[in-house]
Amino acid sequence: MTRFLVNHSPALLLVAVLIGFSIGSPRFLTPQNAVNLLTQGASATILAAGMTWVLVTSGVDLSAGSLMFLVAAACGKMLQSDVEPLMAAVAAAAIGPLCGVAHGMLIAYAGASPFIVTLASLFLLRGAGLWFSRTRAMNLPEAFSRWGAEKLLGVPLPVWVAGVVVLVLYWLQTHTAFGRQCYAVGYDPAAARKAGVHVRAALMKTYALSGACAAIAALTALTQLGAVSPTFGKDREFDAIAAAVLGGASLFGGRGNVFPGAVIGAMTVASVFNGLNVMNANPYVYPLITAAVVFLAMLFDGLRRRQLVQSARTMRWNVEGAR
Amino acid sequence: MKALLPSLLVSVACLATLSCGAPTNQPDQTTIGVAFETLQTEYWVASLDAMKAELAKHDVRVLEAVADGDPNRQLEQVQSFIARKVDGIIVVPKDAESVIPMIRAANKANIPIVLYNRGPGEGAGPCVTVVADNRAITRDTVRRMIASASERSKPMQGMILIGDLGDINAIERREGFDEAISESNGAVEVVARVPTVWNQEKALAGVTNALQANPDIEFIFSSSDFLFPSIVAALKNADKYHPIGHERHVVLGGFDGDATAYRMLQDKYLDADGVQNVYFECSQAVDAVLKMSRGETVEPVLKDQGVVIHQDNLDQESHRMWGAQVAAKQP
Repeated sequence: MTRFLVNHSPALLLVAVLIGFSIGSPRFLTPQNAVNLLTQGASATILAAGMTWVLVTSGVDLSAGSLMFLVAAACGKMLQSDVEPLMAAVAAAAIGPLCGVAHGMLIAYAGASPFIVTLASLFLLRGAGLWFSRTRAMNLPEAFSRWGAEKLLGVPLPVWVAGVVVLVLYWLQTHTAFGRQCYAVGYDPAAARKAGVHVRAALMKTYALSGACAAIAALTALTQLGAVSPTFGKDREFDAIAAAVLGGASLFGGRGNVFPGAVIGAMTVASVFNGLNVMNANPYVYPLITAAVVFLAMLFDGLRRRQLVQSARTMRWNVEGAR
Repeated sequence: MKALLPSLLVSVACLATLSCGAPTNQPDQTTIGVAFETLQTEYWVASLDAMKAELAKHDVRVLEAVADGDPNRQLEQVQSFIARKVDGIIVVPKDAESVIPMIRAANKANIPIVLYNRGPGEGAGPCVTVVADNRAITRDTVRRMIASASERSKPMQGMILIGDLGDINAIERREGFDEAISESNGAVEVVARVPTVWNQEKALAGVTNALQANPDIEFIFSSSDFLFPSIVAALKNADKYHPIGHERHVVLGGFDGDATAYRMLQDKYLDADGVQNVYFECSQAVDAVLKMSRGETVEPVLKDQGVVIHQDNLDQESHRMWGAQVAAKQP
């Protein structure tokens, strides 16, 4: 029973949150609010999906929020210079994987710690964005911001974008050698190397993916917001890490998945904020509830890890006993 | 010796660069250190520009520092000003408590210190604070919003967007809002209090959720103008963003006086805006620090009473709105 609870804790936590807020307010569990929730969670889901990949390799990407800002600032500047919206979005999106490749090179080839590289990048990219935007807010043209409100088959465009990103990453993670190699790298890089895995290439691709996700998340949020402010994307990396861990990714590497993991995690974070809004909760309660949910996720992560270690030990004893 | 030579050359080059890079100043020129907590909103950028312009008028040499939201870094910057024996310090602190060690350090070195925009916590020691009367300006802004909706049926459902709960200015604005609401005899029923942590994305999600839960909301106050793009996006999605006079117009008010608010006032989407007079506050701060550096006494708290700008006084008062000047420079 305990094993079941621990193994399925991400989904159970989301269900508990949904039931709790449904009891708290009859306006929470309505079809319209569900669409709301999916739309608001679209950008967070994309970012959490990228972060899950990085966590699986036992790394971290602290620069995700700052990269979102740099992409948004570049896109805003281009739009203000009358560049076609689609062109501006594509050009700005290219910044994401480029920065990711730079991170990957420093981590995989120069042997720098992911924490240090991406922490430095957090300041560097936000500084570059501020310099680029001259710390001015930019209101974006209607032609760009209306994408955030567009619907396709009754589903908002940001939800489609998040769905496609999750689908592609899920396929990469479960149906390609690269996806499986990332788990091996995160679980034990030395063993992965001995098994013939090109660890450096895997790490480089992982950070490029994370950068691409940050760029797509930025553009998805930007179309909904219609403006770039100097605080855009601030602290989003922490929300993404929380969502990834809530979804079952381990901070120690080797575990986690984009679907359903990252999606569940991002939706849990979005549901908590949405539920508190709908209930018109006291503003001082927000950080307490959010912290409690993240704490529970960390607790379950610790329990899962302990369970894995115990299973490994039991297996070793069994093998040794058989000899 | 061979190993030492490159190091010596680098050291000489560095010293030469430093001596060339240091700004030249007359021996008796006054030097003021200006330490900003952040430059991450238009308000702070406008404040820094206004501060430098004001100091330039007095032929003062300026040492600038920005702490990027880190109080420890700001303390180091203030200590560096003290080590360089500046004649006065102007600080924009992150919060009321973290500035206390900076005030004590300046007091110990006998250097006058002025706090801009945020006051100190209790037991801070001698300093001068230049601050907007956040509570009174907000109260007057919300009163004006209520007055402008006098013909509507009561009670109206209302919403407030709250800033960072650790920021005293955000708290005072919320108190000013509550004061105006409580004295309105039930004209507004507050059905949503959205914490934003001064974050536009959280504001967008919060306003969307609140409108979803309370579709009859017709009165919104934002504790900072920089959250307006989020409010506008959420209102547009709910088909509630219409100019004043339209039957579905939502009464809107804000605080700061930035360029977006100015444009919204011009376009008749915004009913009232509480404006901090950046130019007045900067001139007060510079005046105070210079007076103290000459040994004169200054009142410990200098308040900016601000101004509420609305549709009826926009033309007469827009020169006091810093956002109007920023908007004039933008394309």
